Amino acid sequence: MTGKTIVITSGKGGVGKTTATANIGAALAMRGRRVVAIDTDIGLRNLDVVMGLENRIVYDVVNIIEGKCRVRQAMIKDKQGLELYLIPAAQTRDKDSIEPSQLRELCAGLEQEYDYILMDCPAGIEQGFRNATTAAREAIVVTTPEVAAIRDADRIIGLLEASGLHHPRLIINRIAADLVRRGDMMGREDVESLLAIELIGLVPADERTVSAANRGVPVVHDGRSPAGAAFLRIAARIDGEEVPLNEPSHRPGMFHKLRDMVGMKGRAYSHA
Amino acid sequence: MGWAVVISELPAIASFNKLKVNGESDRPGGAPNRADLETNSADGAARRRVVNVTGRGGGVAFVIDEAAPMDAVARELGAQLSAQGALFSAGGVIVNTGGRILDARDKDVIRRVFAENSGLQVSRFVSSVGDYSPEPPLPPPRRPRPHGAGATLGRAFADLTRGEQRNRAQALLIRATFRSGESVNHRGDVVVLGDMNPGSEILADGDIVVMGTVQGLPHAGASGDDTAAIIALEIASPRVRIGLCEADAPPTGRNGRDGKRRRASPGQLSIVYARRGGIYVSPFAGRFARYTKGVPYDG
Repeated sequence: MTGKTIVITSGKGGVGKTTATANIGAALAMRGRRVVAIDTDIGLRNLDVVMGLENRIVYDVVNIIEGKCRVRQAMIKDKQGLELYLIPAAQTRDKDSIEPSQLRELCAGLEQEYDYILMDCPAGIEQGFRNATTAAREAIVVTTPEVAAIRDADRIIGLLEASGLHHPRLIINRIAADLVRRGDMMGREDVESLLAIELIGLVPADERTVSAANRGVPVVHDGRSPAGAAFLRIAARIDGEEVPLNEPSHRPGMFHKLRDMVGMKGRAYSHA
Repeated sequence: MGWAVVISELPAIASFNKLKVNGESDRPGGAPNRADLETNSADGAARRRVVNVTGRGGGVAFVIDEAAPMDAVARELGAQLSAQGALFSAGGVIVNTGGRILDARDKDVIRRVFAENSGLQVSRFVSSVGDYSPEPPLPPPRRPRPHGAGATLGRAFADLTRGEQRNRAQALLIRATFRSGESVNHRGDVVVLGDMNPGSEILADGDIVVMGTVQGLPHAGASGDDTAAIIALEIASPRVRIGLCEADAPPTGRNGRDGKRRRASPGQLSIVYARRGGIYVSPFAGRFARYTKGVPYDG
């Protein structure tokens, strides 16, 4: 078996790399794939929290690389019983404790046994970024529709291409459909035309994402979450399935639907 | 740090890192100044060095400070190579220049440094904007350029008829979107087959032609030639420079940060040119047409 090692990166912090890693990982595993998620944000580990596995950590990625444990010993199985494993970052070390080539070696080993190896990349363009991107075969860039995040994504795409990771793919996270409609947020077209790379997903802003992360259960397990549905579709696309891109839309509530039915005037909604 | 892909049969890679471009300098005050870097490399202080040697994959990488001046790079690289000469007895080297594009003169310097201080030979130059070898021969030494009224037509004619004798390097073709943090300094015309995104910069001694939207910082005629021009499908830069002139886009409503979009009409090229110390923009009607109805870029 030869798996794919994919780095999930963004440049700017706080745009949803870790959330995306946890959800894509879970969604791929729900599709029956065998998945390993590696947190490469050494010193600032988060992925374990978002996956709800922080109290099961014994060994971490630095321990593997330093030969203090076997790879299997550091892998923590998903709480929901999926074929999803976490290799956590070390919290007491820093990015310089590993070399890009060591991480690549680890991923090459995992590729023999698993379908997908997802790497949660730290923010920034320093050693942590180099570690993760050197080890990866493919890249997914996460951005939000904000000028600062897009500027950083643009820089990251340039760096990825320079380091040989051609054709990175793009996730636009936290799109607020009503803000876009009012012209207060950049829309899909604006982002796409500036970054000029393949779009692989549009994730709507969704409060459920936040509460799910706080509970340590990725939002893809929440059948009513539009963000969860978006991550399931992203996973399907990563897995090679053709899924049309859904533009996030403002979903009218029951009251508004009734009001529309009886012909009262209300705000216009985009149905998609 | 390496933007270089190790190719196993090649023993070594020289790579320019991107640490200090566009305000990412760890020093306050933006780009490091020349004197600062030279002292830095001369006394070999604890601060970041111009050239670092590290093992990578199956090879060796020379990681070079992208913002360092070329003479400091040459000196440091030479010193590192001769100090460890036995290690680098033979073979080829790929030089990855990251976001920087070297011109023929600088490449020659790098080639010479490798040849004189080791058994290595530079086989290829690559950068984030693509493989740009082989390089045409070095242009003849620079001579003063024509200036003032009438120079535009005269130069155009001279360029067309005596191409070899131009005192500029050949045009640089960038086959990619030119992205934030990327920077080019070229002694000739620069053509970008894509957009020039915010946070990028192009300094060209000649014209800058962009087959897309310009939102970065273009400087045409960067060595002081006011007859140079910027030609693009759309120009939305917060600031443009031509020769010694500079103009800021006027602030506009919600998109003020990105500058006012200058688009003649969809699919129609615009030209930005300098006239009597001011910078103007006009629908494109030929590179050497007489433009009289341009609107001020900052107005």
